[in-house]
Amino acid sequence: MMSGFETIVMYLGMSLLVILMMLGASAFLGPYRPSPEKATTFECGVPLLDPGHKRYSVKYYLVAVLFLVFDLETILIYPLAVKYRAFAALGWGIFFEVFIFVLVLLLGLLYAIKKGAVEWD
Amino acid sequence: MADWQIELIKVVFIWAWALIIAVVMTWVERRASAMMQDRLGPNRAGPFGLLQPLADGIKLFTKEDIIPERARKILFVLGPPLFALPAFSAYAVIPFGDKIVIGGKEIILQVSDVNIGFLFILALSAIAVYGLVIGGWASNSKYSILGGLRATAQLISYEVPMGLALLTIVLLDGTFSLREIVLQQQGTFLGFLPNWGFFKQPLGFIIFLVAAYAEANRVPFDLPECESELVTGYHTEYGSMRLGLYLFGEYVNLVTLSAITVCLFFGGWSLPYVDMSKFLGPVSYGIASFFVFFFKQAFFLFLFVWVRWTVPRFRYDQLMGLGWKALIPLGLVNLFITALLVQLTT
Repeated sequence: MMSGFETIVMYLGMSLLVILMMLGASAFLGPYRPSPEKATTFECGVPLLDPGHKRYSVKYYLVAVLFLVFDLETILIYPLAVKYRAFAALGWGIFFEVFIFVLVLLLGLLYAIKKGAVEWD
Repeated sequence: MADWQIELIKVVFIWAWALIIAVVMTWVERRASAMMQDRLGPNRAGPFGLLQPLADGIKLFTKEDIIPERARKILFVLGPPLFALPAFSAYAVIPFGDKIVIGGKEIILQVSDVNIGFLFILALSAIAVYGLVIGGWASNSKYSILGGLRATAQLISYEVPMGLALLTIVLLDGTFSLREIVLQQQGTFLGFLPNWGFFKQPLGFIIFLVAAYAEANRVPFDLPECESELVTGYHTEYGSMRLGLYLFGEYVNLVTLSAITVCLFFGGWSLPYVDMSKFLGPVSYGIASFFVFFFKQAFFLFLFVWVRWTVPRFRYDQLMGLGWKALIPLGLVNLFITALLVQLTT
């Protein structure tokens, strides 16, 4: 009897195999006629204006930091959610734990919004 | 047949099935879009243009692989497979039917009923972000980089409300196994409604649906690739099958997302009010459950196209505002209400 994960590994292997086959077939079937014009970076109708890697808005970074906090929160609360019914049968303790956890998060989020962390201008 | 042979056959067929839906979806999208805009759409290749996806595939295969000289070569090559691999693999834990008895063996219509199927899908959708950001960064073109950055910020922002909406379903059903979640949605709720996640978690469903459209980079949240600003966004520099992997991966994502919607919120393969297993034989029941699931899934696939030509694109600040100021607080409040209701009914 299989526990189920072997099959998932098989499935992942199948995906990987087909992706490699697709890329291989494309390299094999497609022509190869390199030219300096083809290898240039895309620009709308004029020669390349400015380099790709330049400074970008720090807001993206802020969103990523905020995301880390909330993603961790999700990870922490998932195991709790699975066993919630079992704990709920024992009394109201678990509910207040969830309440405090969510409340702290919500306050943190409101603070971040108030500070303008997700404002784009 | 030995167990592993059955598993292997299942893997190959289900993998192919998920991709066939995605291929047909590309055709449906173009035909339905044409219908909504009062034009014909692709109608040359085969009957009703049904062979158009095949023609597109052949075209992509026979194009030249170009790597721009300014690109970061290794990362440029790595991007598309890294995006396509999780997209192609997420279907492994979807229960797309109950079970079928063939030759005295009971076979569940699912690749693998692992007890963490739910987390598996969330993990894969998180990995897919790397494919986008690596592809966009490695192209070293301003359109690609902006597209990649936007895609990353959007995907991680909407992963949080999506996780919060799904959390309420886990809270109600107490399991991560998608099969068990579907099984718990049989019967009726409050005596007259089907016992579906949609009726038990209407707010969660709305949050999930909005987040799903953002996760799939679909209109109205298609900012990472909006043509009028960024050419095509993170895959501007890609061509040939590398581009094909990005485009195709997105369609497979749609298939997976609509399947998850059906599993979690619309009772999976079960019909409301009717228990099919009572009056159908073991084989015909398996086939019937498969088709019920497929029709529900087809509706949500069509909804993607429908919404595309109904809602205009958001502005970027509106997108971020909706995610962080509306959906996440709503998701947290919804979680709190659900916890309270579960506590009161236990």
